[in-house]
Amino acid sequence: MNVTTSFLRRVPLIVAAGFLSAAPILLFVGSANANNLNPPPTTRKNAGTPNSTIVVKDKNGNVIEYGNKYITYKAPSSSLNSLGKALFMENCASCHGSGANGVPANGTSGAYPNLVGLGPATITFWIDSGRMPAKDVAAIQARRGQPALTPTQATAIAAWVNSLSPSYPDIPTPHLKNANVADGAALFALNCAACHTIEGDGDALASSTFSPSLRNIPAFQVVEAIRTGPANMPRFTGNLSDQQVADITKYVTTEIQHPNNPGGFGLGGLGPVAEGFVGLLLGLGLLILVCYWIGDRS
Amino acid sequence: MSDIEHRTPVALSGLSEDDPHLQPASKNPQTVERVIALTFVIGTLLVAAFGACYWINAKPWTLGATLGGGLFAFGVGLVAWGKYLMPRGPFVEERHTLANSDADRDAFAAAIVERGGSVVKRRKMLAGLLGGGLGIFGIVALFPALRSLGPLPKGTLFHTDWKKGSYAVDQTGRRINVGDLSIGSIVTVFPEGAQDTDRGQAVDQTILIRISNQNFTTQKGRETWGPMGYVAYSKLCTHLGCPVGLYEQQLQLLVCPCHQSMFNVTNGALPQFGPAPRPLPQLPLYIDSNGNIRAQADYDQPVGPGFWERHRTTGSQL
Amino acid sequence: MSDVVATNKRAQRQAAGPYGKIGQSLNELDDRLGIAKGGRTFMDKIFPDHWSFMLGEIALYSFVILLVTGIFLTFYFVPSVATVIYHGPYKPMDGQRVTEAWNSTMNISFTVRGGLLMRQMHHWACDIFVGAIVVHMARVFFTGAFRKPRELNWTIGLTLLILAIGNGFLGYSLPDDLVSGTGIRIAYSIMESIPFVGSYLAFWVFGGNFPGTATIPRFFILHVLLLPLLILGLVGAHLFLLVRQKHTQFPGNGRTEKNVVGSPMYPVFMAKTTGFLFIVGGITALLSAFAQINPIWQFGPYDAARISYAVQPDWYMGFLDGALRIWPSWTFMGFGHTIALQVFIPAVILPGILFNVAYLWPLLERKFTKDNEIHHLLDRPSDRPKRTAAGVAVLVLLSMLHIASSTDVIANFFHVSLESTLWAMRILVIVLPTIAYPIAFKICKEMQGYRGVGKRKTPNIVSRTAEGEYVATPTPSYGEDVGHELEATPVPTYIEVEPDVPVESGVRTVDR
Repeated sequence: MNVTTSFLRRVPLIVAAGFLSAAPILLFVGSANANNLNPPPTTRKNAGTPNSTIVVKDKNGNVIEYGNKYITYKAPSSSLNSLGKALFMENCASCHGSGANGVPANGTSGAYPNLVGLGPATITFWIDSGRMPAKDVAAIQARRGQPALTPTQATAIAAWVNSLSPSYPDIPTPHLKNANVADGAALFALNCAACHTIEGDGDALASSTFSPSLRNIPAFQVVEAIRTGPANMPRFTGNLSDQQVADITKYVTTEIQHPNNPGGFGLGGLGPVAEGFVGLLLGLGLLILVCYWIGDRS
Repeated sequence: MSDIEHRTPVALSGLSEDDPHLQPASKNPQTVERVIALTFVIGTLLVAAFGACYWINAKPWTLGATLGGGLFAFGVGLVAWGKYLMPRGPFVEERHTLANSDADRDAFAAAIVERGGSVVKRRKMLAGLLGGGLGIFGIVALFPALRSLGPLPKGTLFHTDWKKGSYAVDQTGRRINVGDLSIGSIVTVFPEGAQDTDRGQAVDQTILIRISNQNFTTQKGRETWGPMGYVAYSKLCTHLGCPVGLYEQQLQLLVCPCHQSMFNVTNGALPQFGPAPRPLPQLPLYIDSNGNIRAQADYDQPVGPGFWERHRTTGSQL
Repeated sequence: MSDVVATNKRAQRQAAGPYGKIGQSLNELDDRLGIAKGGRTFMDKIFPDHWSFMLGEIALYSFVILLVTGIFLTFYFVPSVATVIYHGPYKPMDGQRVTEAWNSTMNISFTVRGGLLMRQMHHWACDIFVGAIVVHMARVFFTGAFRKPRELNWTIGLTLLILAIGNGFLGYSLPDDLVSGTGIRIAYSIMESIPFVGSYLAFWVFGGNFPGTATIPRFFILHVLLLPLLILGLVGAHLFLLVRQKHTQFPGNGRTEKNVVGSPMYPVFMAKTTGFLFIVGGITALLSAFAQINPIWQFGPYDAARISYAVQPDWYMGFLDGALRIWPSWTFMGFGHTIALQVFIPAVILPGILFNVAYLWPLLERKFTKDNEIHHLLDRPSDRPKRTAAGVAVLVLLSMLHIASSTDVIANFFHVSLESTLWAMRILVIVLPTIAYPIAFKICKEMQGYRGVGKRKTPNIVSRTAEGEYVATPTPSYGEDVGHELEATPVPTYIEVEPDVPVESGVRTVDR
């Protein structure tokens, strides 16, 4: 009989899970470790690195833009570096440290994520979606909200952080005219729906993390999220080509954000849960009221 | 004429025409009649509008609204007619006991027991033979009903299409190369050739995760299974077979979206929470000279949910 | 000239008898079928008027809508898992490889005129159908209408509930979309988990290992032929027994064990019930116009490697999904075999126990109350506190299991962790039914002691006399209260009309 032993074996894991869910700092420890290994970018062509069809270099030989007809990635201009440094010291250094390495002044190493070597798109994603600067530092996972900095400011910060250790991906611009929404639907169902639901509404995940709703995200941020894998989201680098990422982005920004509801109100896209609610409360409830009218009450 | 209109006398009693039971329940039958007439008119108009909407191929909601509104109006009118304008009653009828008289019941029982009994008592052997034969027939009649439905659950439940040397390909058929994924990336893979088949997708589906840059050991005995940090687990949840597609890279958890079982990817997908009883089987990998990710062998145990014939396997702790 | 014609007409009318041409046709029918006596008895049948007796009609008429819309759908649905490339009007799926089943359902939704309305009415009617059966069953249970002589009807009704739930599951799985396909995978695994025979059962029902090519075609024939036939037959038996044994009624107002008081079948009850059929149809159609249900184009076709989060089955299967989620991960592995207890217990044993107790309830109640009498009068629920409390506890248990199937939606909505939601559900599923029983019991006891509970209060008109004394006179203010001052009377065989003064010309005038 294996019930007892398998349960006992699981107890330390349950305790560990409980500990993890209670201490947000430990989460960041995990990410810091992963980042310190400097994830090598993918070797696949046309997958978010300068190994792409189009490459544009400046006079010093630095890559300033790369990509293909589906997505082009642009490096933030180095002229923004000083502005970015100033903004970083003002808004970010109190947690991420003056070296952007996750060691604040008076703090311990690993308390906050190390931002060095993550690529400009990571930085702009977090700031443009309003998740950083953190409004609630104790929260397990930051929520999308009104950004505190303008897009230019975000790009400037990204420029400076990237200058510390240049990496990829750069800031993307998807060209959705060339994308195929039907292929995007199939890719979304295979790769994204497991977390974000097929309707794109997001849902609760382990230990108080969650997958956010996709109803309000602009196209270029979809690409940034897919390529950089923010927080617990997996990184999609060499497993999806730029064409596939553009397909998914087109699907998200058209069908998910503007769903086709010919049958009436979409009931929040919650599927059978909402349908049962409406069917029983509204449909059956109304009919029972009608019975009450037709029949006697004695 | 008046003779014809008079009823021929009958034995049962009747009610007079002005008996209160026969009067409408409503105090203002004329008003109610006009209201009901209005509902019928509205119903007719709406139902006709349904026809018109259909004719011009209008949007589905107009079809539903007109049809629904029309039927509803008819229904309300008809119910109101019955409730407010028809004889209000209340009327009564007697319940006759369903049971028949004792004499009838005895006769019924006698017919079955004595008539049947006397026949069978005389020919016990015949009855026995027939009974036995029909019993056998009942059993064999089940054979085509059940066995013809499908094959026996043999090998296909125990083995997948992964073999020694199978290339790991994604759903488009592209081979996965060691340089493809960065840390924290996942991809759903199949053995090459099986990615388009139903069976391939159902049974062979495997989730490939890059956990680190160095060889990764999930458990003792699996030192070679995670080359360059690539780890592969069966995507079929051991609870009820849903694809475990949800990966949280910081928590290092694979979460099943169906009933929220959670598996820790760093220690051999041991279940950490939720109803799944067993870890996800791990596929042993190796990297060939061209950098392609390939399988060393099939899974060391049946993938997916538990079933009666599934025995404990050697080589893993569960 | 006109005299001759008039005489002929008069003679014709005379020959036709006092009931005219209609009477003549009825006589012809009676010559062939012998329906006169039975027909009269049938039309005199009295139906009690209480509103809670109409809940079963909601189910009946929803079933009628299911049949009508279902027949429409069978003309267009293709029950095959052979794949085609989708090239229909829904552009976001153009070029995708899909099954014929999904393709034909898309065809119904986007190309066939009125198809989407029929599909949505079919699905909404099913949700209402099962809901109405549950509500009707609750009414029957709480009023004790399942007692002798109606135990057989209770059994038939319970079987109808199981068939309705099963047919609903089969039906919404037919379009082969991502959400319902996941449900089929789960059903396969549940079948697999049964000890000894599980893998054989799964292989034979599905025609092989999952997914099998036989799944959708077999589901189709079960859904449109076998189960509807069974349901129709059982509904017929259910109604036949109802007519034969006559309906139950609440005590009071001249109602006894030996009579039935209410409205006659024709014309009053027929008018009300036909009107109600239209109302059920109307509300279903209105719901289908404004509330979208099962948008398979947003889910996409089923693929065994794809999955969506926040997937729940239709509401009537929710209690099974909830039980599966909250059950601990027990499993038995030994002696070369595996029993997936964490699947087998919540998905097979638990509903097995619930339904078996339900089937046996009339027998159990007879044993416990030692009451073998025939009952045609109903109980007020508060008159039988133990039965009512038990029913309430079971309903609370089923509701909690149903809510437990949405743990992820709840966790997301209230911003609490998934783990704590699950643990909360595990505790609530045990605690809430346990405290529901004594609470319901107490409430029943309280209501028993409180006279006049549930009856409509008659308002009083208060007036003051010249001496300053207050006097209250009761005044019925509702029309129905007046109506019930009348004693029930048998349905008249004929209605006496005052003889008119005969007029010489032979023309009869009638005062209106």
